[in-house]
Amino acid sequence: MKGHEQIISAGIDIGTSTTKLILSRFTLVNTAGTTQVPRIEITNKEIMYKSSIYRTPLINDTLIDMKAVLKLVEQEYQKAGVRPQDIQTGAIIITGETATKQNAEEMLHLLSEKAGEFLVATAGPDLEGIIAGKGSGAQQRSKEMGKTIANIDIGGGTANIAVYQAGQLCGTCTLHIGGRLIEFENDKVKHVSAPVRRLLKQLGLSVKAGDQAAFEFICPVTKAMARILGNTLKQQLTEEEKVLLLGHPPDWKVPIDQIMFSGGVSECMYGQESSSGPYMDIGVYLAKALQDDPDLRSWEWIPPAETVRATVLGAGTQTTHISGATIQVDPVRLPLKNLPVHQLDMKRNLEDGSNKVMNAIQQAIQVYDPSLEGKNFALYVTGLPFLRFRDVQQLGKWLLEGYKLQPHPSNPIVIVLQDDLAKVLGQTLQAMQSDRDVICIDQILVEQGDYLDIGNKLQSEVVPVVIKTLAFHS
Amino acid sequence: MNTELIESITKLIIEKIGKPSEEKLASESGMVKLWDHLSPENQYIVTGSDSHDGAQNSNGLVKLWDHVKADESKSAGYKEENTILPELETRIGVSSPCHPEALQEWVTKTPARIGIGRAGLRPKIETWLRFRLDHGAAVDAVYGSVQQELLKSLNLFTVRTMVDQKEEYIRRPDLGRKLSEEAKRTIREKCQYKPKVQIIASDGLSSQAIEKNLEDVYLSFLQSLDQLGIEYGTSFYIEKGRVASMDEVGEILEPEVVVLFIGERPGLVSSESLSAYLCYKPRKGTIEADRMVISNIHSGGIPPVEAGAYLGSVVQKILKYQASGVSLVRKEG
Repeated sequence: MKGHEQIISAGIDIGTSTTKLILSRFTLVNTAGTTQVPRIEITNKEIMYKSSIYRTPLINDTLIDMKAVLKLVEQEYQKAGVRPQDIQTGAIIITGETATKQNAEEMLHLLSEKAGEFLVATAGPDLEGIIAGKGSGAQQRSKEMGKTIANIDIGGGTANIAVYQAGQLCGTCTLHIGGRLIEFENDKVKHVSAPVRRLLKQLGLSVKAGDQAAFEFICPVTKAMARILGNTLKQQLTEEEKVLLLGHPPDWKVPIDQIMFSGGVSECMYGQESSSGPYMDIGVYLAKALQDDPDLRSWEWIPPAETVRATVLGAGTQTTHISGATIQVDPVRLPLKNLPVHQLDMKRNLEDGSNKVMNAIQQAIQVYDPSLEGKNFALYVTGLPFLRFRDVQQLGKWLLEGYKLQPHPSNPIVIVLQDDLAKVLGQTLQAMQSDRDVICIDQILVEQGDYLDIGNKLQSEVVPVVIKTLAFHS
Repeated sequence: MNTELIESITKLIIEKIGKPSEEKLASESGMVKLWDHLSPENQYIVTGSDSHDGAQNSNGLVKLWDHVKADESKSAGYKEENTILPELETRIGVSSPCHPEALQEWVTKTPARIGIGRAGLRPKIETWLRFRLDHGAAVDAVYGSVQQELLKSLNLFTVRTMVDQKEEYIRRPDLGRKLSEEAKRTIREKCQYKPKVQIIASDGLSSQAIEKNLEDVYLSFLQSLDQLGIEYGTSFYIEKGRVASMDEVGEILEPEVVVLFIGERPGLVSSESLSAYLCYKPRKGTIEADRMVISNIHSGGIPPVEAGAYLGSVVQKILKYQASGVSLVRKEG
């Protein structure tokens, strides 16, 4: 019933080569009619501030310079005129090779603590691709045009592919293809990364530290990378070519209509960077090889809305969801961070519900708190049939019975519902017992194995929610 | 109109050969399900009255035979055990759409009859039957009455307005706003005087809305009031009431807030939608701008249990600002 509310969201991307930050202002409006139960939506996202692109501060090959990163973020906040406590939502993503550093996880959680009220730590090659595909505009375009678009975000360390069809994610894939996989110093090769060394061996080539950094030596490598990318998009990877695969093979099941490139290397392709310039690596050669590859050229190329900032833009503007407006939460318990999601599918009926609930909670404890240390989880209840009041009471009883299995009653009961039922279920759980706090939110789509962060309650009575993965690839 | 006749006609029971147990399901939910008449199995649609003699279902029934032969069937894609088709609203009726994904998305976005296809210049049989069914259900909802058992189970006693017959109710809205003398007496006798919250229910223009939703929304609302520590008076039911009948109740019992659950005028999308009207100190002469409403409470709108849980916080807000409707919005700033 209030007019509207504004919150500030931050996005921070700590990548293989570069680190950048973005601040945006979200407008939340009740879009339901006056005779309806409120429905709060983000109606506008305005970019307030874009930082410069910084080289990611490293201490050595295996450690991120955490102090320098923190200082960098502080400086940028100052320039933008915001304080960490003004940041009400957003995400930090640690991407590419940086995610393999020894202190990557520590870095991420430290920054998430220090740089905002509710700033979510995220990592994982699939998530990088998904977020970049949203930041580059590929997802939006596929939705508008009804086409299948693959967004290929190529940074320093990895190429993250996300395929969207009519706005829906169809699959992802990550490859060891990036500008910084071979580094130069004074026209000589300084470093060749491990996956590229494996590729070189396969191709029968030799590029090693100290070699001349000449185009003719590098060209066969970047050409091979372009070929492998093309075959990945067509899902025709040979066994040998899988040498560059990071994680699972491509998993989309639809042919791709159009492709879009984002990330630092795409900056070179769209002419913003002309020489290997400040980065001293194969980025420019790679860009050229991609542009010349006949296979890749056979698709229609769509210029991205954002190139090097696609991931940070996605992290800052596309990761926050808003819960339903009728929810039941205990404000002192918020924010809640890094909760693993366990799904309880009721399969559209309440038959045998007691067992279904009990089994799900038992499983969740086994998986996420095997040594019973009190690690909490979010129970995601889906497939509920139409519930009468007595059904809600019944469900509440089953849940409380199940939650007795949890060894630490000081943890709140966290329940996420797909359907609009959080308020009544939350109230029911509270009416039935007063020992445990209840956080019950709804109208959020998550999946088994996702992680969930729930932010502070906003004036509009909703909570911001970020759904993410936390996978540090090695 | 003869309500009993209408009632029995609308109770369309659809049954599959060899699966008589399905009958129970259809009549229990009260909603009529249309079977997939394109399915390869030989099904037929049975219509008839079961309200009095459900057992006697082999005689006097209208049989509509499956008019499409099994081998012509296009519905091989439906492999679910239960061959009931998904609701028309979630399914494309166009035979060979150019952009099925896009059409599917639009169709699921609205309960309006879009993407239903056509047979020549006419609507398809299923669409047409469904349209007539929905129209029939809407008419029924207006002329039907609420089962006494339901009201009894919720401990609601019944009072009447100045209206006698439904026809009169429709022609004379003014009489539906006034309580009968007997009603005033009963209310004075039975109800707690000056409660914080007075809850009333009324069939209004849809008895179905009360039948389907009152129990859930009411119990859930009481739970939320209990939890917020807001006390409420003696609830009751007004037969053939209008929204403004709350003003007379306000005069008699002088509650701070009245919450009136009343059936909405039925439409072709839903005939069982319920509204909750709320007003701070309604009295004779209360202006409409001071009333507020949460509408669209039914299984296809806001779930009744969730609406009840939410209404508690609305009442809390009304009590806090001592205002409702436009005045509340102003005070809230």
